Amino acid sequence: MTRDQLIRQVENEGQGAFVEAYDETDNRMVINMGPVHPSTHGVLRLLLELDGETVTKCLPVIGYLHTGMEKECEDQTWRSAVTIVTRMDYLAPFFNEQVYSLAVEKLLELEVPERGKYIRTMIAELNRLSSHLVCFGTQGLDMGAMSAIFYGFREREVILDFYEMVTGLRMNHGYIIPGGVWQDLPKGWDTAVRNIVKLMPGRIDEYESLLSNNPIFLERTKGIGVLTAAEALDLGASGPIARASGVDWDLRRDMPYDAYGEAKFSVPLGKEGDVYARYKVRMAEMRESVKIVEQMLDGMPGGDFKNMDPKVTHPPRAELNTSMEAVIHHFKLSTQGYTVPTGESSATVESPRGELGCYVVSDGGTSPYRCHVRDPSFVNIQTLSPMSVGGLVADLIASIASIDPVMGGVDR
Amino acid sequence: MIDVELRGDEWLARATELKESGWWLSDLCGLDRRDLGFADRFGVVTQFLHRERRERQIVHIAAAGEPPTVPSICSLWSGANFFEREAFDLFGIHFEGHPNLTRIMMPDEWEGHPLRKDYGVGKVEVDFVPQPFLQIQGLGQSPNSKEAMEKVDDFGQTEDGQRRGDSW
Repeated sequence: MTRDQLIRQVENEGQGAFVEAYDETDNRMVINMGPVHPSTHGVLRLLLELDGETVTKCLPVIGYLHTGMEKECEDQTWRSAVTIVTRMDYLAPFFNEQVYSLAVEKLLELEVPERGKYIRTMIAELNRLSSHLVCFGTQGLDMGAMSAIFYGFREREVILDFYEMVTGLRMNHGYIIPGGVWQDLPKGWDTAVRNIVKLMPGRIDEYESLLSNNPIFLERTKGIGVLTAAEALDLGASGPIARASGVDWDLRRDMPYDAYGEAKFSVPLGKEGDVYARYKVRMAEMRESVKIVEQMLDGMPGGDFKNMDPKVTHPPRAELNTSMEAVIHHFKLSTQGYTVPTGESSATVESPRGELGCYVVSDGGTSPYRCHVRDPSFVNIQTLSPMSVGGLVADLIASIASIDPVMGGVDR
Repeated sequence: MIDVELRGDEWLARATELKESGWWLSDLCGLDRRDLGFADRFGVVTQFLHRERRERQIVHIAAAGEPPTVPSICSLWSGANFFEREAFDLFGIHFEGHPNLTRIMMPDEWEGHPLRKDYGVGKVEVDFVPQPFLQIQGLGQSPNSKEAMEKVDDFGQTEDGQRRGDSW
């Protein structure tokens, strides 16, 4: 049996750990890692060909969390599809909502009021913080530094409490909608955000003092899982992975959307393209996110938080008692939803994992004809092979952690 | 709504040209245009990004024939690999020259292509087979073995009317 046939057989039949040397004179063997494995961050399955401890081939097998969300969007109204897309990348739900809303707004030619833009930008940056904190924690955990996850989740809890205050939920919010945000910020939001802004820089220092100069952590990450800039671009990698390899590109700065044009921040870059560089880029990004959140907090304008066009937005509750028109609009929006002009549009945002895109097609009806989401994890997972081949199995774990894949986004 | 679309045989040349002038493949997905009034039912939608010019463009390719076929661009951008496998899996669009054109999301033995418009949501019934629960009779016998499953009827009950797992 040839190697490829064996890999094919393992792929078809192999469940759980599976080991077989395919040639008696050859030490190489094929091992199945995952889909249920503590360090594959969900249901990522890898087919590994090993020579002793050295990885000679690595093949990611995905689809274990495929729930057909793109198909489900086609059955929803334009407004309610937000509740589907937010479930894709469950660690960064606001970005999914934001990119979908931006794409639909382009088709509708709908203006978002300044306050809506600021709220979106602020909450997206808080989401970047909470997402990177999970990455920091799990990366530490995968390297054997168990305390990292406690520290990371401690601050994440503070940010999630703020989400709960604003949206009522800790994940799958459905908060950002075409036209703005679903609801205005609640009373006392500014103190809560101010607390986070004051808290975070010191805590990020704490994380860095925990891991950045830790000799064991350095040993496990420096020079491990190297990805060159050319490889990153060829494989379509984006976000912290590409920036750690020296690709100077950030959609927030280079093609600004929402209120990013008014924010001042820098884009951290790495050179080496190894696991440590990616870790450092994420840490620096967290500091920049805090700066953006602070600017949004200070500059938060008043006014409407969403576009008040009654054709796309439910009228305020008070109006329903006095205005017949408001009742009609309310009835139409609740039963049928709004229609979107025929056409196609695409939008991209910089999610914590890279370039998150949404491509929507409308046939003039009340639900999306097609809603495709380009999830950064889905593309980034392909970089695992060049990162891990030639390294040890233990280094492969470090590489997975540094890609920070979210399988909900990979499989959609 | 789609102004220009390329034929399959023009696509590879155009993609090469785009790559040479600095465009980066950002996205590739299939599109079933059954209700949109096109000569060819299936299409491939690609998006490109130019980092220096800070521009984006969408390129449409018609997938003609049965099965619908377009050439693969994996040789130009390795990152197209997963995108093309996804379009193959969910739309049944074939990519000529792809190194490993297999299903990526759905199981290998799956029939049909879920994102096609004639494949409705909920059309395929999902069998909720009750799983025999913690019923290991003999050493080495799996609770999910075929024999164990056969003893349970559709409502998850054994012949004597006991629900599996109740004893637990």
